[in-house]
Amino acid sequence: MTPTAHEVHPAPALEPGRTILELRGLEKRYPGTHALKPVDLAFKASEIHAIVGENGAGKSTLIKLLTGVMPRTSGEVIWEGQSAALATPHEAMALGINAVHQEVVLCRHLTVAANMFLGEENSRFGILQQRAMVKEAQKIIDDLGFDLPAHVTLGDLTIGQQQLIAAARATVRGTKFLIFDEPTAYLTRKEADQLFTLIRRLKTEGVTIIYISHRMEEVFELADRVSVLRDGTLVGTRNISETNDAELVKLMINRSIEQIYHKEHFTPGAAIIEARNLSGKGFENVSMTVRAGEIVGLYGLIGAGRSEFVTTLYGRHKKSAGQVLWEGKDVQINSEHDAIKLGMALAPESRRDQGLCLNLPVGLNLNLPIYKRISSNLLISNAKEKAEADRQIAGLRIKTPTRHALASSLSGGNQQKIVIGKWLAHGAKLFIFDEPTVGVDVGTKAEIYRLFSALLSKGAGIILISSYLPEVYELADTLHVFRRGKLVATHGFHTADHEDILTQALAEKQEKLGGKT
Amino acid sequence: MSTEAIPAEKPKRNYNALFGLTLLALLVLLWVILSLSTSSFASANNISNLLRQGSMIAILAVGQTFVIITGGIDLSVGAVVGFATVIAAMLINAGVPVFLAILLTLLVGVAIGLFHGFGIVKMGLPPFIITLATLTSLRGIGLLMTNGNSISINNDAFQEFSRNSFLGVPNLFWMVLLVGIPAYVFLHHSRWGRYLFSVGSNAEASRLSGVNVQRTIFMAYTLSGLCAAFVGVLLASRIGIGNPTQAEGWELQAIASSVIGGTSLFGAVGSVHGPLLGAFILATINNGANLLNVNAFWQRVITGVLIIVIVYFDGLRRRGGK
Ligand SMILES: Nc1ncnc2c1ncn2[C@@H]1O[C@H](COP(=O)(O)OP(=O)(O)OP(=O)(O)O)[C@@H](O)[C@H]1O
Ligand SMILES: [Mg+2]
Repeated sequence: MTPTAHEVHPAPALEPGRTILELRGLEKRYPGTHALKPVDLAFKASEIHAIVGENGAGKSTLIKLLTGVMPRTSGEVIWEGQSAALATPHEAMALGINAVHQEVVLCRHLTVAANMFLGEENSRFGILQQRAMVKEAQKIIDDLGFDLPAHVTLGDLTIGQQQLIAAARATVRGTKFLIFDEPTAYLTRKEADQLFTLIRRLKTEGVTIIYISHRMEEVFELADRVSVLRDGTLVGTRNISETNDAELVKLMINRSIEQIYHKEHFTPGAAIIEARNLSGKGFENVSMTVRAGEIVGLYGLIGAGRSEFVTTLYGRHKKSAGQVLWEGKDVQINSEHDAIKLGMALAPESRRDQGLCLNLPVGLNLNLPIYKRISSNLLISNAKEKAEADRQIAGLRIKTPTRHALASSLSGGNQQKIVIGKWLAHGAKLFIFDEPTVGVDVGTKAEIYRLFSALLSKGAGIILISSYLPEVYELADTLHVFRRGKLVATHGFHTADHEDILTQALAEKQEKLGGKT
Repeated sequence: MSTEAIPAEKPKRNYNALFGLTLLALLVLLWVILSLSTSSFASANNISNLLRQGSMIAILAVGQTFVIITGGIDLSVGAVVGFATVIAAMLINAGVPVFLAILLTLLVGVAIGLFHGFGIVKMGLPPFIITLATLTSLRGIGLLMTNGNSISINNDAFQEFSRNSFLGVPNLFWMVLLVGIPAYVFLHHSRWGRYLFSVGSNAEASRLSGVNVQRTIFMAYTLSGLCAAFVGVLLASRIGIGNPTQAEGWELQAIASSVIGGTSLFGAVGSVHGPLLGAFILATINNGANLLNVNAFWQRVITGVLIIVIVYFDGLRRRGGK
């Protein structure tokens, strides 16, 4: 359809409660992995149906089958009473099935508007109507309440903002059935609230929604029903009013977790790194110290300058003013190489762009920072290479057939574990984790937090960046709040409440926060 | 999902070896067919000749592969070969001891590679552009140096080398092993090899993991320049002259050999044995076509078709067999 003919909801509302889509024995095998064992499940018209499960449980696989991205191995999909082949994404879209995938799959070099209408451009005699498209796209974005420009290049937006664009894009296509695969992983609370508003609105307009998330509170906030996948098997479907957190976790991982946020307090030792009035691209005049045995949390909206600050510490970008002290001594860190030599490790924000060599084996990715250590002279010790990789795979429970599998064949959460895991054997003194648990399931989150404690107990210090407030709140010994490139507040462990911290992060932009945490 | 006990990863793991075996089988098949269909193919003379023909492209292809794995391309190698013949010839004729002349020629190759690294890393030029520029200007510089004439080399011992054999195998083929074995160890068993792959896959991630990306790129182009200069020395020995217009189009043959050997032009996929086999497959086809009196023009067409067919099937296997 053309932008000018745009409506958000051309789909006729089905009577609620009727089955719109049914899976019968839907199954998917990858060579070496039985990703989805025959699944039977019916989705009702205009329900919000959450799907939860561990990393690698098969959630994204299910979505890929429904959207025609991957062919199924066997089984049947019934769409509005009729069997649907769903062999291509095009076919799925024609039926009204759309998805916002876990990894943004848009063209980073095109503008926001071009991305929104990709494949359905508005053209007259083959000439694109660029200006009309930008205008139309802007109208849709404004309508949805997103505060984003339509004329900029998509790659210039943060990952979270790109995710919102992907969501907006899905709404313009006559959608009857919309799937969100971990949409909030990279969103701040504010953006997440905008998204939730959109999702609720779509529901009232008769759209059926599948919502995949590792965050239980979102599931309880949004969903009508929830299904749990474990090891490719559907282990249960519940009405949201008849279940609770603990039951879902138990279903997901087949054991219970008493406490996700494992926090041990160590007496802080000597300062490892100190930034004095540091300025650079995206932040200014930031001072802070990280001492041995402590976690320093950085909270703020995406784009508040936290990632820029740490990548500058790490030598990726040049500082424009200020001083960095390493163990009390003035140092110049001109490259990531210098930083690593001093004893820093950075697990970056974007696993796709910065964290992983996707088309290379898991083992190579895990060992990349330590090849120097596991080779004598020029030759790599095969035994050590294997041992190191296997140790991380076991320790973090990275779900992969072997270390030779390509990183791209792992599920999103398992890829994230590689990004963290590659630094654990490095023996750094300062670990910088930028959004370390994005897309990681509860069980593994708990394990990662335990690993943090282990690192601290060995005398390391940690900088933890998270846009997910509970995470920094429960783990950080010192919590710095960033707003627009400035460090605006500092708190000790649990010395401020969520509301205060949020207010500080948002400040003048005090729109309604959806009344949530 | 469950990670089944079936070692479904085995094929993946041995994929390189498997693909190598398929190529080897293809090569053997070609040889069998040609031995049966022509009387002269299987003669010792022809086989030696074939090995000599294939060897030089094979060495070029190894260097080229290092570059392609990093996601780059080196279009200059043919020109470097031609230029190196000139340098070697001039030095030898000037009375420089052969050993030293060879060493200096190799250093010229290294310098050209470093220049490419500089252009790519420091000036931010695309590999295609900087090596294309070298391709045309090196030929020009060579022509200026020689006034467009060939320089015949007055040193019999130097020329003997490429004609002789050791243990019945042409010396030139031994040179393939001399380059190939260290190259194999380097690419598959050293950390520098791993870095070539990681840079080709994701330079930013490599960099943040502490890989010196710039040095890795310098290294790839330097090795390619070195291989090309070495081939230049071998060619000078074989034809006995220095001539900057020699080795026209060899860069494309080297790239073709590399790609036939399973190297991905997108980077991060490749081996050493693949391109070696690829080079000898190409050489066999040319040789066989000559013996069968196939029009030389057709040979080019056949080579083109072959590239498409092999790379297509390789792609199918990769996608299907994964
Ligand atoms: N292209 C592929 N080739 C081989 N195996 C794959 C491929 N894609 C996914 N898998 C495997 O299928 C299983 C299910 O993966 P899937 O992506 O569906 O998990 P998920 O539930 O979405 O996990 P996450 O929460 O981490 O996103 C995983 O073990 C994964 O390794
Ligand atoms: Mg997933």
